[in-house]
Amino acid sequence: MTHRSSENGRRVLAAAETVGRGLGLGRPGLRASADVVWTVFVARLKIISRYKGAILLESFLPVFFAALPILLGTAVAGSEQNAANNFFQNTSSAGQGTSQYRLYMLLGSSTFMVVSLMLWLIGYWVRREQETGTLESIYLAPAKRLHILAGVTSYSLVRSLSAFLVAMVIGSLLFGVNPFDGNLLASIGYLVLGIPALWGLSFIFGALIMRVKEANSVIQLIQWVVPFFMGVYFPVTMFPPLMRIVAMTFPPTLMNDAMRSSLLNISSLYGPGYIVLGLMFMAAWITPLLGYEFFGLMERRIRRNEGVGQY
Amino acid sequence: MSKKVIVEYSRYPVAFVALFVQVFVIILLLMMSSFAFAAPGTSRNQLSVFAGMMTYGFVTSMFLGFTLWEMGFSLREEQVRGTLESLYLSPTNKFSNLLSRIFAIVVWTTVMCAAAVVLVNLLVGGLPLQNVAYGLLILLLSISGFLGLGFLFAGVTIKLKETAQLLVNGLQFFFFIFSAQFFPFSVLPQPVRDYVSRWLPVSYAVDLFRTTLLGIPPELMPTQPLTELGIVVAFGVLSPILGYFAYLAFERQARRAGTLGEY
Repeated sequence: MTHRSSENGRRVLAAAETVGRGLGLGRPGLRASADVVWTVFVARLKIISRYKGAILLESFLPVFFAALPILLGTAVAGSEQNAANNFFQNTSSAGQGTSQYRLYMLLGSSTFMVVSLMLWLIGYWVRREQETGTLESIYLAPAKRLHILAGVTSYSLVRSLSAFLVAMVIGSLLFGVNPFDGNLLASIGYLVLGIPALWGLSFIFGALIMRVKEANSVIQLIQWVVPFFMGVYFPVTMFPPLMRIVAMTFPPTLMNDAMRSSLLNISSLYGPGYIVLGLMFMAAWITPLLGYEFFGLMERRIRRNEGVGQY
Repeated sequence: MSKKVIVEYSRYPVAFVALFVQVFVIILLLMMSSFAFAAPGTSRNQLSVFAGMMTYGFVTSMFLGFTLWEMGFSLREEQVRGTLESLYLSPTNKFSNLLSRIFAIVVWTTVMCAAAVVLVNLLVGGLPLQNVAYGLLILLLSISGFLGLGFLFAGVTIKLKETAQLLVNGLQFFFFIFSAQFFPFSVLPQPVRDYVSRWLPVSYAVDLFRTTLLGIPPELMPTQPLTELGIVVAFGVLSPILGYFAYLAFERQARRAGTLGEY
């Protein structure tokens, strides 16, 4: 009797499991989740490997972006020497005196490229999936959104870091600056530490694109708003008080400042090194959580209203 | 077709707002950068000629940028959505089809540029503004020339597909630097000026437009302003024709290869 009831119990459990999995209630394990991240990552890399020109061009963009203020500054100051002197005096009064304005601009522009690409690639990914009608299918796939997003953001990271490295090499040769004069290792360390915050921001950006359904203009706008608030061309302490507070709470500004202070041997706008490090850890912890929460919130709202299939 | 584009735009009001904000951000970014390089104690009024050079250059860069972005991108969108091939099967005139794509954006850019000039006026306390009618004529010719580049780029988009996005970004920065859109040509190294800038018709359009409004001799041909005008006129007339033919060539090639609908 007991044997029969336990046999029945096993059958019921097996049936429940089968039904549960059949209805999509089964939870993939760690390995399956890692597989999702890896598959999305490889798929994105495969797609971009078909557009080699894009990879080449995005490495040159920071160099152009840095050349702009360098030439602009020379025009305003009258000569390169005057530009260096004036920049030193103006940045000193803003709390970050340096005459190495070329390296200042190059590092700022290359860091901006990392931030921009992280946001841009997520934004375009969401928009492209919407337009091609595959976003809804992704939502029906038995994979967590977080893992899909992790795959896409990892791909963005690899692409943006490659652009950063190539731009730094080309820019250093072109502008005649030596990034090895400063603490390059610490600078790269700060870049790596800033990545989780960028992940968080890219989730927010992706959610916004999903909501407003207009990637091009928003990306074009971001392309200028981000360098403005990051202080790519000048210390953000040159802003009026309110704008300065907004700029300094923006995680890429912190990352940019930390990288600059270590590479150019200048003081950070945020204070001593341990405060900068603490703030970076905080941004690395809070921003992704907030970003993913925001993405989830926006996603739920869209699914309740028009649905993710509309574009 | 223009009406269709305007209706499409009206469904994305965020895009319009984003474009408008973008203009102010670019101006502020560049103005603050120039303040970072100005000798301490320089008054904002002393920067007015330089600010004028930058702002009027910026106006040309806006028209060039939007012409390049909009035409290629709207075609790219049609490619991605899968409607490009159907559009080519419809009895629509190809030229007006292309032209209509930028009508709305050109009108909007005009409004934005006027707002930008007002903003800089407020920031530096008055910009030099002379020969307005002549300046506008040059701007008109320049826009016509940019259209040609837009047509060419639309063709390139059909060919290059995804890479076109970054190419247009690269082209924008290329013209920023080599056509000295935000600074005088004099700061460019002599070889760059002689072997790159002087070979770009866009440089002459930028130079003539801003020096006309500033009331100073052009930088590229200070002793031959009429020759410079001739180059700008030729650019305005020939560029759309050549650009359109280039577009047709790209399009024919894609149709023969059967890749028009591919993205």
